[in-house]
Amino acid sequence: MREDAAQLMRLLEFTDSAFPVGTFSFSNGLETAAETGLVHDASTLEAYVWDIARQAAFTDGITALHAQRSYLAGDYSGILEADRQTLLCKMNDEVRLMSRRMGRKLAELAGRIRRDAMMEMWLSDIVSGLTPGTYPVGQGILFAACGIGERPLFASHQYGVMNMVLSAALRCVRVSHYDTQRILFELSERTEELFGQVREAGFEDMQTFVPQADILASMHEKGTKRLFMN
Amino acid sequence: MNFAKMKEMRPYLEQPPAMPVGTPGKTGYVRLGFELDSGGRSVMRDWERRAPLIVQQELYFDERMPGMPCVYILSSGGPNVDGDRYEQHFIVRRDAYAHLSTGAATKLAEMRYNYSGLTQLFELEENAYLEYLPEPTIPCRHTRLAADTQIRIASSATLFYSEIYMSGRKYFGSGERFAYDILSVCTRAERPDGEPLFREKFVVRPEAQWPDTLGAMNGYDVFANVIVLTPPRHAEALYARTPAFIDPDRDVAAGVTRLPSECGLLLKVLGRETEPVKRAVREFCSAVRLEVKGCPLFDEFPWR
Repeated sequence: MREDAAQLMRLLEFTDSAFPVGTFSFSNGLETAAETGLVHDASTLEAYVWDIARQAAFTDGITALHAQRSYLAGDYSGILEADRQTLLCKMNDEVRLMSRRMGRKLAELAGRIRRDAMMEMWLSDIVSGLTPGTYPVGQGILFAACGIGERPLFASHQYGVMNMVLSAALRCVRVSHYDTQRILFELSERTEELFGQVREAGFEDMQTFVPQADILASMHEKGTKRLFMN
Repeated sequence: MNFAKMKEMRPYLEQPPAMPVGTPGKTGYVRLGFELDSGGRSVMRDWERRAPLIVQQELYFDERMPGMPCVYILSSGGPNVDGDRYEQHFIVRRDAYAHLSTGAATKLAEMRYNYSGLTQLFELEENAYLEYLPEPTIPCRHTRLAADTQIRIASSATLFYSEIYMSGRKYFGSGERFAYDILSVCTRAERPDGEPLFREKFVVRPEAQWPDTLGAMNGYDVFANVIVLTPPRHAEALYARTPAFIDPDRDVAAGVTRLPSECGLLLKVLGRETEPVKRAVREFCSAVRLEVKGCPLFDEFPWR
């Protein structure tokens, strides 16, 4: 797969938090983690971000890669299967809503910036309710359509997850921009190892074990004071 | 279920030299089928079992629900040892109901060559009701468990399915917290026509990824995973009534969420000790029975 400056620019564009798919609305349970005092400084924030990033790698990370491969193989049914598997493994209502809302936004946005038959078919199936339209599957399609490879897709996915929590942290945890950027820089060191663990994974390998984060997400969903959705 | 195909079990496929996989006494099997008899009482119609699993007759001891058959699954072999395989198949036919538990905690002994495997199938027909509330699982040092549970449930039926996992024998010697090799646990559900409802899998390999992190066990030692598959009207009522909390005084935390496909709820409970977690799971089971069957769960026996 060729790599040139335009591709790198597109990778930056789709990964940038300014790419308007609505990531700013979510904290992945961090808001409650901060409210209960579990996350209260840079070190606890780093531990929390890593847990969230790791479980995202073993769920959305796997389906994003599958969607990308299905696109390249011209296998639209594989894209629909990745979409279905993404949703079946998401145990939290708001997380499902978040993924679907961002996925649809991504499909709509992609249609405005670069026409692609498979993305258009996917958006049409989302609108008609035939497929859920989850975010990682949208990322897989878009990256494949733009010729961006598997490793950059996974890195972009991980960056998005980490940055979502870290950006929320600036508003609800006593940390500075210096802290959040250092955390992002240091956790990035571990992304290659995660990629190695999930690149060969099938849907049957999708897994998650973050019971404390799940409980925080539930408290957040049932709470009455909220800055973010989940 | 062919556990050998699972990537995470690949390091544990050696034959145990003492008794190879499949040796009589190492493949426990239970098949229990419940249905209404001609008088409308729920009875255990099918009853097949193979050692080391034992099931005696159903008991009707619940005074609040005298027609409820209660069955305890026992293991005559002590703990699960290297290369054991267990299979459990429960069927609850139209309108029938039952309560299942185990006689004691399931202990997973130290393993050096292979693993212990558990395959389960739950089948619930229209308007059936089943509570599966076993005692906790205690993984000892260097043990390995692969568990696969499949649920096939009609849209009008209700299943309460709970699992409680301890970090290990925390008071044994200098303590065994997360000293096991692997727990790989997968639960899938579908409608009788094959429509998938959800799939949840967790793999805990303490040596590869320490589970006592802020987002995972966070200092707790006991983890309960409770799945309630029930029609949306019951699920919504239960969701509204079930609190999500962290209680630092009792060292217990719990949260409930809605499963995909509007098929029910998932409750997670964490605790420092077993008792408060078991109590939280029983309270939730009681709430489910009250919602669906109109009466609460019987009180726990004082010796359990």
